[in-house]
Amino acid sequence: MIPVRCFTCGKVISGAWEEYKKRTKLEDPAKVLDDLGISRYCCRRMMLTHVELVDESSPYY
Amino acid sequence: MKVEIIELGDRAAKFVLSGVAPAFVNSIRRAMLAEVPTLAIDYVNIYDNTSVLFDEQLALRLGLIPLITDLDSYVLPSECSCGGEGCSQCQVSLTLSAEGPKTVYSTELVSADPSVMPAEVVPLIKLSERHRISLEAIARLGTGHDHAKWQAGIACGYKNVPKITISDECDACGMCVDACPRGVLVIADDVVKVVDERACSLCRLCEGVCELNKIYDVIKVGTHPDSFIVTAETDGSIPIRELITRSAENISDRAEALDGYLSVIDMEMEMDHHAT
Amino acid sequence: MGYRCVRCKQPVEIDYEYRGIRCPYCGHRILLKERPVKIKRVCAE
Repeated sequence: MIPVRCFTCGKVISGAWEEYKKRTKLEDPAKVLDDLGISRYCCRRMMLTHVELVDESSPYY
Repeated sequence: MKVEIIELGDRAAKFVLSGVAPAFVNSIRRAMLAEVPTLAIDYVNIYDNTSVLFDEQLALRLGLIPLITDLDSYVLPSECSCGGEGCSQCQVSLTLSAEGPKTVYSTELVSADPSVMPAEVVPLIKLSERHRISLEAIARLGTGHDHAKWQAGIACGYKNVPKITISDECDACGMCVDACPRGVLVIADDVVKVVDERACSLCRLCEGVCELNKIYDVIKVGTHPDSFIVTAETDGSIPIRELITRSAENISDRAEALDGYLSVIDMEMEMDHHAT
Repeated sequence: MGYRCVRCKQPVEIDYEYRGIRCPYCGHRILLKERPVKIKRVCAE
């Protein structure tokens, strides 16, 4: 799961994750992040570097 | 002291504070980050959790959800009449139960007090077939001192108001204009002009790139030592206006308390003096 | 403490006399510990 808040500044960023993931299939990530109001580079890296792993492990629970 | 507001939204603000000492601005910043209390989930009673996250991970995620806080109706557990045991004055209970397959959001938390609710839609956990969670979360007031989940202010900071001076020796070669990453400088009528002084990041690239600067002080980036551009943001638990005013109140309360302690010391010293 | 067999999903009690772990119904060697039915209090930090 995407971390709830940005590690560095503490802004709540997880709400933007689903839209980010959907839109980056077609659009430029930089543009999507600007649209979603994620302006600082600490918050932007949270989105850019996240790897979603819940779907990988859920069949084994 | 003078305040000039540049931007004031619901969650973010930017303003110029002039005629104050750096220590004062810093204490405002520190009060916004660590002194103004907010509600956050403190502990969680977990009845059932068969999801992919451990109980502790789930509890951490719950704790980080910002909760809309009315600071007049709640008190800190340490200052409560119940002595911190937990009563309706100092804590709120939120319940959550969900069954997969679906994604559980923070909005599904059911609060005992309808005025306390999550400020943001946070995906808490993705449940698949047979996964179940059922829990009761207890939210309390706290300050950023104790844990970042109680931190109302986010990315609060300040910088001195920049002052760029360009002398008459400037030959308008345009090197500084190209070097500036913020587009602060511009050439108009064969002279370098400052367009947006406050946007300057004080990087001083323009100073370094100027050839004439080696002989004279042609372009100089300085600061107004007693004016500051303050930027602040909240996590949504309280409006930014309230955060700023409450942080200022907090400083004055603490200063008054210090004054009280000092006068007690003064009195004691005087009494000692009379005794000897 | 209750366990459950991963293959046949039967609840299993562990026989401590037997040196090893094995499901008495199907012989499978992987058992999962069941979550106890009590309220667990976790600090959110």
